[in-house]
Amino acid sequence: MREPVSPDSSRLRLGVLGVVVLSLFAALLVRLWYLQVMASDQYQAVSTNSVRLVTTEAPRGRILDRNGVELVRNRISDVVTVDRSALPMRPDVKARVAFLLRIPIEELDRRLESKRNSVYKPVPVGRDVPKETLIYIREHASEFPGVAHTRLTEREYTQGELAAHVLGYTAEINSDELAARKRLRRGYKPGDSIGKTGVELSFENDLRGEPGIEELEVDAAGRVLRTLNSRPPVPGHDVKLTIDINVQRMVEASLAEGLTVAQASRDREFKKHFLAPGGAAVVLDPRDGSVLAMASNPTYNASIYVDGTVDQFKRLQDALLHSPLNDRATEGLYAPGSTFKLVTSIAALSKGLISPNTTVDDKGSIKIGNQVFRNAGSTPHGRVRLDQALTVSSDVFFYSLGEKFWTARGRYGESAIQSTARDLGLGEGIGRVPDPEIRKHLHDSNPKAFPNGGWFAGDNANLAIGQGEMAITPLQLANAYATFANGGTLWAPRLGTEIIDVNGNRVREVAPRAVRRIDLPPSLRNPILAGLMGAVKDPKGTAYGAFTGFPYDRMPLAGKTGTAEVANKQNSALFTVFGPASNPQFEVTVLLEEAGFGADAAAPVARRIMDGLIGEPLKPIGRTGGAD
Amino acid sequence: MSAISVSARPLRKDVRAPRHAAAAWRHVDVFLLAITMSLAGMGLLLIYSATQHKEAVGGISAGGYLKRQALWMVIGVVVMVVTAVLDYRLLRDLSPVLYVGAVLVLVAVLSPLGTNSRGAQAWFQFGSFQVQPSEYAKLVFILCLASYCAAHRGDLDVRRLVTVLVVASVPVALIYRQPDLGTDLVFIAILMAVLLVAGARPRHITVLTLVGIVGVVAIFQLGVLKQYQIDRLGAFLDPKGDTQRTSYNLNQSVNAIAAGGLTGKGLLNGRVTNLSYVPEQQTDFIFTVVGEEFGLAGATTLLALFALLVWRTWRAAALARDLLGTLLCVGVLAMVVFQVFENVGMTMGIMPIIGIPLPFLSYGGSATIASFAGIGLVLNVHMRRFS
Repeated sequence: MREPVSPDSSRLRLGVLGVVVLSLFAALLVRLWYLQVMASDQYQAVSTNSVRLVTTEAPRGRILDRNGVELVRNRISDVVTVDRSALPMRPDVKARVAFLLRIPIEELDRRLESKRNSVYKPVPVGRDVPKETLIYIREHASEFPGVAHTRLTEREYTQGELAAHVLGYTAEINSDELAARKRLRRGYKPGDSIGKTGVELSFENDLRGEPGIEELEVDAAGRVLRTLNSRPPVPGHDVKLTIDINVQRMVEASLAEGLTVAQASRDREFKKHFLAPGGAAVVLDPRDGSVLAMASNPTYNASIYVDGTVDQFKRLQDALLHSPLNDRATEGLYAPGSTFKLVTSIAALSKGLISPNTTVDDKGSIKIGNQVFRNAGSTPHGRVRLDQALTVSSDVFFYSLGEKFWTARGRYGESAIQSTARDLGLGEGIGRVPDPEIRKHLHDSNPKAFPNGGWFAGDNANLAIGQGEMAITPLQLANAYATFANGGTLWAPRLGTEIIDVNGNRVREVAPRAVRRIDLPPSLRNPILAGLMGAVKDPKGTAYGAFTGFPYDRMPLAGKTGTAEVANKQNSALFTVFGPASNPQFEVTVLLEEAGFGADAAAPVARRIMDGLIGEPLKPIGRTGGAD
Repeated sequence: MSAISVSARPLRKDVRAPRHAAAAWRHVDVFLLAITMSLAGMGLLLIYSATQHKEAVGGISAGGYLKRQALWMVIGVVVMVVTAVLDYRLLRDLSPVLYVGAVLVLVAVLSPLGTNSRGAQAWFQFGSFQVQPSEYAKLVFILCLASYCAAHRGDLDVRRLVTVLVVASVPVALIYRQPDLGTDLVFIAILMAVLLVAGARPRHITVLTLVGIVGVVAIFQLGVLKQYQIDRLGAFLDPKGDTQRTSYNLNQSVNAIAAGGLTGKGLLNGRVTNLSYVPEQQTDFIFTVVGEEFGLAGATTLLALFALLVWRTWRAAALARDLLGTLLCVGVLAMVVFQVFENVGMTMGIMPIIGIPLPFLSYGGSATIASFAGIGLVLNVHMRRFS
């Protein structure tokens, strides 16, 4: 028999046990040290993933006209929301909600999955829900777990289609905009709405306000436990515009009527009616560049961006419907035609190419190089001075100026006319037009666009009458004439007058901004002004017919017709006019695409607008016979 | 010179003389008692922190968890006192009865009388309270094992060893049927430690260890385990492998502890822990709360408390009046050490994930009461070391 366990053996074995225990504790301590000291940094980030930021967009500011009339405001909409986290347990709820909202269940799914909404907030699935539906949901709450009623603000365009292009619209931010704004740290996130065009875009920073931020603590399953911090949204500021909505209404109606009249008229050249698909009209205050009205036709209703159907969206960009979304006043590029003769005149007089008394014998055509350039209809105007050439719109006179500039380019430089155009703001900014095909045709890049002697006297002659390699926007044209009208100050076109906070206090004034001053001494300005006044008042003037009976005693006018010739297309009509001629308050520019001569189609529209501006009774637009 | 040394002996005897059984309470290990109560208090704090947001997500309120755990602790203290007061030799005499009773209860829990919760048929439901008999069976097992080994004065030949293994295998098999792998492993740890100290021959211990290793491999290979068990056990070998599923617990747990750093995030501020990122954070993963909220300082303090508790237990084993007392303390020591090492090791990713509670800290009635009872046994042995 073995010895029973001795006390010594027992002690030894206890000792062994003690060593085992000690080593186990040592292992735990080493691991603890490794995790919490050596490797702690790499785990720190993980521990903050339990806080989620949920932002609430601030109510956008309103847009008001110059008299404080609401043009865009926010409307309260009764909205039904669904809490996505409640759905998995009650899939039957979706069918009931879809039925109540009268939408297919696929549409409901689409709305539920929209990235616009935070995962931690209920998703709005129905807007403008009728009261009865809301009451039904409330009374049958047990059948609608996770379904709730809330109120959201959305954009409301009080004037319908009026000034649509000026006001612009808001829509969900896209990835490019997001990337650009991220750099500016403006706190945008996917799904936010942002101004896309017009005032909504250019005053985005004022209108938007500051989004509210809630710092939510969520658990592993994404359930919200509590709000750690919250900052309510700060409403955006209101923007007061230079636009007078009554003028805008009158201008848009005049433009639309002018297009309708043109469409009813026959084009003798093309042997069909004028297409007259669209046009633009701009009314500026030459004293500070304020835009009183700016119209682009065809137009659209921005509420499509709030609750439009897919079809309505498609129509906005449909080329067959002449792309209503395009803003022809600020983005449309057109040859200026004879309205450009103002630029050539200023260039010729200021550089000393001619004097106000220099005459040219206009025989109806002129041979430059081995090419013959003709007046419209080859009409001879006889021996004409600059002012007379402007009044009757003698192309031959200006062709000869173009040729002279080119011949004497050693003295005046290769781009004397172009640089004057640039001084007047023509072509400015449109260098940013992304389409290289269009950019190639901008006067800015000529003649450098034609190296190796590719620019000839004939090109310069064409440029002198605003044809060929030339493109301007109607707003630029209006502003160039406004600059001449006010004596030489080129104002940046101004749409806003002041920014007002939610309590009605002025935040800041949107001051007029002079881009540059150009020197227009009376010796230069007077002969040109006389020519432009003649164009409307003189019986020989191109726009005389359109302005017959205009009360010149109340408002002396100066204007210029223009007809833009585009290969294989009907002529586009331009007319620009300002008054009173000596101390101008208004500058009106009208453009009608493919509508005929400027005098025939555009001048009557401008006449009607001028009538409206000085409070004359508005008469229906007729079509006047005339040239150019 | 010799007179002095002679006179010294009676003096010692005089000191020993007044010590008698009736005054056993005088020798209570107050230090062990204090450590135990500190651990229990810390447990309450951590459970409150871990459950403070449970109500918000549809569970019992934090106060509810706290109150229930406090109630378990009160009951645990009572049980501890009772276990300490009844002489352990009396308990030894009762051990066969207790063993049969424990086996019967373990059989009963597998019957429809028991309740299945979280995949194991391990509970009896009494109203809103649950009782987990396997927790109490651990103590009965310690008592029986120590009694048998002590009765044979540590002379464990093959026949007796086989007897011990048979005695052990019945509750182990029944608990395996639940299935509750974790508690089985505690049984095995207790068995090995008691056999070691009781005097099992080294070669027997070696053979048993080898058999254990072969057994574990066999369990894996023969498909005895359910797939989820294999996944969980395997997760600690490759925690980055499958973040979303099985190793999720582990990664979140390790993250929480690591996030604590040196001093932690502060009480109630552990984000990973409190927001249910760590599953079972009030029970099996309670250590993550210490790790995240109190950092290295707190976690080390907690482990130090456990180390002190183990040291006092080890000391009681060494000072025990007889082999029975020693083995009882060794059994409790093995139980506590294994649970602490497995539980804490699991939360830090160095041990496989097996559901074992951290003594005194994890939320749960049976485990808490059983832990107090274990300390009761140690106090019992310690205060009777002279009688």
